[in-house]
Amino acid sequence: MRLLVVEDDDTIRDFLTRALSESGFRIDACALASEAEALAVEGVHDAMIIDLTLPDLDGLQLIQRLRAQGVTAPVLILSARRSVDERVLGLESGGDDYLTKPFAVAELLARLRALLRRSSAHQPETTRLRVADLELDLIRREARRGDLELVLTQQEFALLEYLCRNAGRVVTRAMVLDHVWKMRIDTSTNIVDVHIHRLRNKVDREAVRPLIRTMRGVGYVLKD
Amino acid sequence: MFSRISGSFYRTAAWRLTLRSTIVFAAGSAAVFAVMFVLVAQAVRERSDSWLIGESETLKQVTLSTPEDSLHDRIVEEVAELATQEVGYDAAGHKSSNNIVFFVQTSAHQPPLWVGPGDSADFLEALDRQHLQERTPVSLKVAGWSFPFRVVAADMSPGSRVYLGLHDSQATTLLSRLLLRFILGWLAMVGIGFFIALLGLRRMLHRVDAITTAAANIGTGDLSSRVAAGTQNDEVARLARTFNNMLDRISASVNQLRTLTDSVAHDLKSPITSVRGTLEVALSAEDENFSRELVASAIENLDRLSNVITTSLDLAEAEGGALRLHVEMIDLAELSSRVFELYAPAFTERGQSFEVSVAPVVRAEVDLRLYTRLLTNLMENELRYAGEAACIRVTLDADDTRVRLCVSDNGPGFPPTLLGNLFQRFARGSESQGHGLGMAFVSAVAQAHQGSATARNNNGAQIVVEIPLRYSPLNHAGESAPAAFQEAFG
Repeated sequence: MRLLVVEDDDTIRDFLTRALSESGFRIDACALASEAEALAVEGVHDAMIIDLTLPDLDGLQLIQRLRAQGVTAPVLILSARRSVDERVLGLESGGDDYLTKPFAVAELLARLRALLRRSSAHQPETTRLRVADLELDLIRREARRGDLELVLTQQEFALLEYLCRNAGRVVTRAMVLDHVWKMRIDTSTNIVDVHIHRLRNKVDREAVRPLIRTMRGVGYVLKD
Repeated sequence: MFSRISGSFYRTAAWRLTLRSTIVFAAGSAAVFAVMFVLVAQAVRERSDSWLIGESETLKQVTLSTPEDSLHDRIVEEVAELATQEVGYDAAGHKSSNNIVFFVQTSAHQPPLWVGPGDSADFLEALDRQHLQERTPVSLKVAGWSFPFRVVAADMSPGSRVYLGLHDSQATTLLSRLLLRFILGWLAMVGIGFFIALLGLRRMLHRVDAITTAAANIGTGDLSSRVAAGTQNDEVARLARTFNNMLDRISASVNQLRTLTDSVAHDLKSPITSVRGTLEVALSAEDENFSRELVASAIENLDRLSNVITTSLDLAEAEGGALRLHVEMIDLAELSSRVFELYAPAFTERGQSFEVSVAPVVRAEVDLRLYTRLLTNLMENELRYAGEAACIRVTLDADDTRVRLCVSDNGPGFPPTLLGNLFQRFARGSESQGHGLGMAFVSAVAQAHQGSATARNNNGAQIVVEIPLRYSPLNHAGESAPAAFQEAFG
């Protein structure tokens, strides 16, 4: 997977390059819209990460120009602007997703993967999820841990499903709120922790090997 | 006095206003004096005119009643002489050589009978020039005399007339003296008026200068400067009071700003300090697990910091009226239920009970993101302050026009000192660990939706948020944005 990162801030560009390289992506990074345009039109990138405030051209205009030149790779917009206006404008201009600074690398990776999945051939809908001895039936909304049937509320099932779908990958609190409760909010309280704690009590209590782990400072991960 | 006044004085408002008012005063008083003088002159003239008319009648009678013989002219002449001498004395009985009277009797077939000074020819010529009505005194200019005579005519028989003329020098003198005194009086009045106006205005404007000085002090950073308003209630005193009030408000705002910067310093610098310190320790830690732990805690602090900044910015926008609402028709009942579900376990975990009463469907036009944060702010407020084992009650209902969201608890309630300014920025109780922005945000969002947020203590804390079901975008510039999108992107 090859990514194009367009970001004028050296610190952020370097850390993006490092973080994404470590996750197995090949990175082309540049600071100017003109360089980005030259690189993007080659059509070799699977996705692009574009910052909105560039010294030579507004990021939105860059996206519009790339789209006009037939560049179809999905674009993840980075911006310090938080308003809904900006988000809408960004998506209207041809961006595919929008992430405001500051962001967690885990969330950046998750969104990037989602974009890449969306652009590749449609995967068949799964009806069952399985991680180690945890098994979810998405149609009947039932969960089992080994032989034990888990009695979960709707919310708990949705939360567990989200963790399973991202098994092995870190999800942040903001991502959980966004995907499970459909709320794009920041919270300084431990509100998500409470739900995770309750879910863990049901999923991991009887088990020898706990599946749901807390990555302090980042979020949670469900893995074997 | 004027020599001591500097040149800049002539550019002052006091000088200009004094000059203007003096000119107006001078013109007005001059008009009054002129009218008075004309009235006096008329009265004086009337006195001499009535004498002329009466005397001319007497002479006419004498002339008519005297037989037309050789003595006729002599008798008339005598009477006329007497008449002329009658006014020839001033009030004190002295001979007044300045009063001059002439008498002429004309007739068709006789030479005119003349009693008077000098040559009669000039007088007769002047009388011929002007036709006189009987008993109507007129002023007559006579060649050789610098002043006009008042002349009256009396008809006897056809072609025969009696003229009596008078130059009342006493009256003329009186009038000219009067005129002189009037002018002097007028000048004195104007002069005194000028100085009174100048002094009064200077005193008044001196007080304005005091305000200017106070304002100048503020320019140099001294906000404690105030103007002495005095006990009067005139314009300048009101200006001074208004100015002082303005200063009070400004210094209150500045103090608020100071509090704000203190809070920012505390809310931002504390986490930054702790992040920096934590990372430093992590850098030098030998144990990898320990350093991981430290880094994680640094990230958590950064998240908190980021949250404060986001809330501050949102609040600044909301309070500044710069929030661009993206209203959409939303079922608040469904949204609220989702939020309540999210928070319910947290309440339970703290031993708090959480009762929710939500109307089945409450559709209203709100900004989803802002309204959600309003709800979460209210929930987090309850989590923090309702106290252990408190019962939290939330109701959401609506009538035809408004949504009413009521969050109440049976906890300790708001501290009385906080209740008045609960919805102000950085209002927080002494026990609070929040950043003091949450409630201000709730109020700002309610107001941005043309609604309101109110708080009171009712056996615990109670907050009521009311917003209209329909958002009317009147006077809301933010609503033009979506239209602009559609234009730009079809």
